[in-house]
Amino acid sequence: MTRILLVGALVAAILTPACAEPAMEPEPGVLVVSREQVGSWVRNFNPLLAGGLARWPTRGGIYEPLMVHNPAQGAWTPWLATGFTWGEDVTSLSFSLREGVRWSDGEAFTADDVVFTFDLMKKVPAFDTQGHWRYLRSVSAPDPQTVQFAFARPFVPGMEKIAHQVIVPRHVWESVEEPVSWTNPDPVATGPFTEVRRFDHQVWELGKNPNYWMDGAPKIEALRFPAIPSNEQATIALMHGEVDWAGNFIPAIDRIFAGRNPEHHRYWFPNFGGAIFLYPNHTVGPLKDARVRKALSRAIDRDKVVQVAMYDYTSPADVSGLSDGYAQWRDEAALTEDPWTDFDPAEAARLLDEAGLPLGEDGLRRGTDGQPVTLELSCITGWSDWVRAAQVIARNLQGVGLDVSVKSYDFGAWFDQLQRGEFALSIGWASYGPTPYGFWVGAMSSGSMFPIGEVAPQNWHRFSDPEADTLLAAFERTADPAEQERIAHALQARFQATAPLLPLFLDPSWGEANTTRFTGFPSAENPYSRLSPNHELEFLHVLTRIAPREPVVAEGN
Amino acid sequence: MSRGRSEGRRWLDALLGNRKSMVGLAIVGAFVLMSLVGPSLVQDASAFVATPHQPPSAAHWFGTTGQGQDVFAQTVVGARLTLAVGFTCGFLVIGIGSVIGATAGYVGGRVDEGLSLLTNVFLVLPGLPLMVVVAAWLPAGPGTLLAVLTLTGWAWNARVLRAQTLSLRGKDFVAAAQVSGDGPLRIVMAEILPNMLSLMVSSFIGATVYAIGAQVGLEFLGLGDIGAVTWGTNLYWASNDSALLTGAWWTFVPTGACIALVGFGLTLINFAIDEIANPALQSETIWRKQLSVTPPPGAATPVEVGLA
Amino acid sequence: MGGTARYLLGRLGFYLLAAWVALSLNFLIPRMMPGDPATVMFARFQGQLSPEAMDALRETFGLSDASWWSQYWTYLRHALVGDFGTSVAYFPEPVTGVLLRGLFWTVVLAGSAVVVAFAAGTLLGTLAAWRRGGWLDSVLPPVLALLGAFPYFWLAMLALFVLGFGMGLFPLRHAYSDQLTPGLSPEFLASVFRHTLLPALTLVAVSLGGWMLAMRNTMIGVLGSDFIEYAHARGLAPRRVMLAYAARNAILPNVTGFGMALGFVLGGALLTEIIFSYPVQGYLLIQSVRAQDYPLMQGLFLTISLAVLAANWFVDCATVALDPRTRR
Repeated sequence: MTRILLVGALVAAILTPACAEPAMEPEPGVLVVSREQVGSWVRNFNPLLAGGLARWPTRGGIYEPLMVHNPAQGAWTPWLATGFTWGEDVTSLSFSLREGVRWSDGEAFTADDVVFTFDLMKKVPAFDTQGHWRYLRSVSAPDPQTVQFAFARPFVPGMEKIAHQVIVPRHVWESVEEPVSWTNPDPVATGPFTEVRRFDHQVWELGKNPNYWMDGAPKIEALRFPAIPSNEQATIALMHGEVDWAGNFIPAIDRIFAGRNPEHHRYWFPNFGGAIFLYPNHTVGPLKDARVRKALSRAIDRDKVVQVAMYDYTSPADVSGLSDGYAQWRDEAALTEDPWTDFDPAEAARLLDEAGLPLGEDGLRRGTDGQPVTLELSCITGWSDWVRAAQVIARNLQGVGLDVSVKSYDFGAWFDQLQRGEFALSIGWASYGPTPYGFWVGAMSSGSMFPIGEVAPQNWHRFSDPEADTLLAAFERTADPAEQERIAHALQARFQATAPLLPLFLDPSWGEANTTRFTGFPSAENPYSRLSPNHELEFLHVLTRIAPREPVVAEGN
Repeated sequence: MSRGRSEGRRWLDALLGNRKSMVGLAIVGAFVLMSLVGPSLVQDASAFVATPHQPPSAAHWFGTTGQGQDVFAQTVVGARLTLAVGFTCGFLVIGIGSVIGATAGYVGGRVDEGLSLLTNVFLVLPGLPLMVVVAAWLPAGPGTLLAVLTLTGWAWNARVLRAQTLSLRGKDFVAAAQVSGDGPLRIVMAEILPNMLSLMVSSFIGATVYAIGAQVGLEFLGLGDIGAVTWGTNLYWASNDSALLTGAWWTFVPTGACIALVGFGLTLINFAIDEIANPALQSETIWRKQLSVTPPPGAATPVEVGLA
Repeated sequence: MGGTARYLLGRLGFYLLAAWVALSLNFLIPRMMPGDPATVMFARFQGQLSPEAMDALRETFGLSDASWWSQYWTYLRHALVGDFGTSVAYFPEPVTGVLLRGLFWTVVLAGSAVVVAFAAGTLLGTLAAWRRGGWLDSVLPPVLALLGAFPYFWLAMLALFVLGFGMGLFPLRHAYSDQLTPGLSPEFLASVFRHTLLPALTLVAVSLGGWMLAMRNTMIGVLGSDFIEYAHARGLAPRRVMLAYAARNAILPNVTGFGMALGFVLGGALLTEIIFSYPVQGYLLIQSVRAQDYPLMQGLFLTISLAVLAANWFVDCATVALDPRTRR
């Protein structure tokens, strides 16, 4: 027995000093980013693949677009293009390209590359994630610095889509045989970071582009990405100062992150993005009546929802359903006419009475068939903020006599039901882009509506409004800002009158930074962009502006 | 018939006389009582009653959660669903396991081959992965968890009970029943199963411990109904609100301690069963065999291996 | 000898049959889940992708409209040569590649944890049974039982938080230091050791009790047998009796369990990965389920099932070697 104890003591003596990992600072100028939550990295830098299949920041940081929209400023920043002009009848659009831009292998960037990229998307439909070829007729290059887009029909929102398309080099991609399954392991691109210095399953590094066109940018040497699979682990890394820039949700952030180092631990959660809505299915029972939908909306205590579900990180949405990022489109004056997003259970009860849903003796509202109104509120298993919100909403709606129960489904099942219109109430997001055009299409257009049982990518609630259709068609045909604003206000008025969706709260953008080693991150005081790395393309502003605190001494490699 | 009953009584007496089983029974009994009457004594567990993340105080004995719910109420109320699913799963697993195991062992031949194949297929199917997939496919909730845990848990017991039936089949009292013209069903029900009672009880306890552990693990991963109040979802929410990072240990520790205590209590009862069985040399060969087919640790508690 | 071979071949045949059933279930189960990978991936972007992207995604993944039967035959044919197609979540990486990456670290972490727990548990069980009523016998089993009764993830989170985060004794994530390049350098191996220690210890802590108790109980049974008394009577050294006679005969059930546990190792240390960010296979599974990545799911399932079957067959062989009676 003593011998065992001895051996144990010996083993312990060997182990103890070995356990502590020697603290190692990343080299100066190397920014550590936590953006994607994964268990291990896969080397894929194909920027044309849809949705998150390529590593962050392939779209934006490695491959750049023609222009970058910045919701924090409500403006477009010229990038590979210096500007654009509409032709007559808004059926042609030309972009003039920036001079002196070179690919990271030294070749010149020309209009040929842009034309090639668009033609490639026509040839390979899997790459056309924006649906460019639904409105484009042809793309041509009259000279090396100009690209001409011919439209099949007037479609002004096409400009946003074209401006946000990332461009690939013709001289590399024209010889790729199977572009869809090509992982593009060593990217040749125009972006600020193009050199893969190291790629491991646990960590990888992206060095700066030696030929970057922007003067003096980027100011940092490289980006480093450790694989972090969970939110909790990402938070720990941030608290420990192992990560400099992150975009994850952190509960009680003032206490556990900002409070630990008030000088350098920064966060900024602005509401420039979309909003989260309660989707009422217009084909289910009383929900087709706008009065009933407004009554539901009035019964919801949004302040409580925001406090319980969102840790008070955001604010309730208003009747327009438009976030702070759409300030220039929003008609502030119209917001107070019928503020059906204000918490007012008495008004809710009045509306329900008026809509013919009387309160029974058991405290439940009766439908026209005399049966109590029962509605199921669907949400997603494991999406904790939505589940919390759904719980509060269900309690609120029970308060006005509606028998609402929360049911959570697995993501796939939930989304399937939502798309087929087989639900009663559900929490959901809405389309979000540089203008609210996409949001209104999804909310009120007959073009986005499909019958119950068929898969609809948006307009899950099944609603269309002829007036909105006319307005949307007009919006597609005008590039005149004043006219656009007039139409936008009219569309907002239609949304407020019909209440197709019930706005709940604004979707905050999660962004945290540790400024111990780097400066120049955006903040509420310096809002040149959102802080979060989660917004595709927009983070280009941050990548080209942040700088190490001390000037980096050139490494003698 | 009478044989089985007197056997049962002898076991009960022995259990009541054993210190370990008394402690174990007391712990488990206390929790079962708490789960039955507790929820009506405490406040609404899902109501948002106070400031979030408050440490334990007179008003909130175990403090409040990251959303301002009462942790004490959640701990008490959480016991009900967790234990209900755990014990029901234990019963189902033993029920299915003993029927299939005893039938296969007693009838033999083609039936045995077929049932053994079925058992072994379920045995080699990876339990946790299967749980993850099935739990994702069915609507979240206690019923789904119960189905998933039963589906992945019965095979072990069927195998153990089949082996035991094989050894009982050749015994004199079975032969006597056969001679007196009893049908196979009656022999299995009246002769074989009662004689495996203690093994079944200890397997039941093992299955219950497994079910509670696996259920808590799945719920912690967010695969249960996180809208319900159970011990697993309590821990899910605690981790979701970064309980340890914010220093709110009180949202994390009580539920974990309760789960450990219930598991410990059940294990103590099993210790006692082993102790009573082993030194009593009256049916020593049976018991030695039994112990050697008691689920070996690693695989016996797939919770640990699988969930690890 | 012919009997032994026939017995083992018979078992092999049975396992092949079981493998086919498992293979077919692997095919069916994912297909019964609602939704498809394209919509799931589209939906993850919560409105940031244009609705047109859904068609593009369908196109990318080349989702098949072929009948289940023809898909099933293709699947079986490909599975035989170890080709599971292309992963959806890790598009366009082949499933085999994704699997192999996690597999190595799974074996390092979970494998070593099982081996250590088995060896230590069996040894402790032997000693406890040999010295009935000693402190090892009376104190350790309840303590280990209590330890084992805690949910694994609960202990692991507490250990990571207190020992790693609070006291800084252990690294907080990953299988080796991010600063090092994988290789056989002593530095790298030391780093792997440091990083594996805490996750492995938590795994050992919760499973040690089971191994010890099983060994102790069987050993006590064996110690009561005649041949042990005979061995004592022959004047053999106590340690020789303990190890060569008693333990050798008592270890059989533990070996069975060991084989099973080794087989289940490939199931992955799922919670370990999530808590310690250790790059093992477990997380892949959750990810493949969430992304409805059928090919990856099937690959994972099949690897695990085959590992368990192989372990079972290994156990059969070991049983035959340790206990000749089974041959009859």
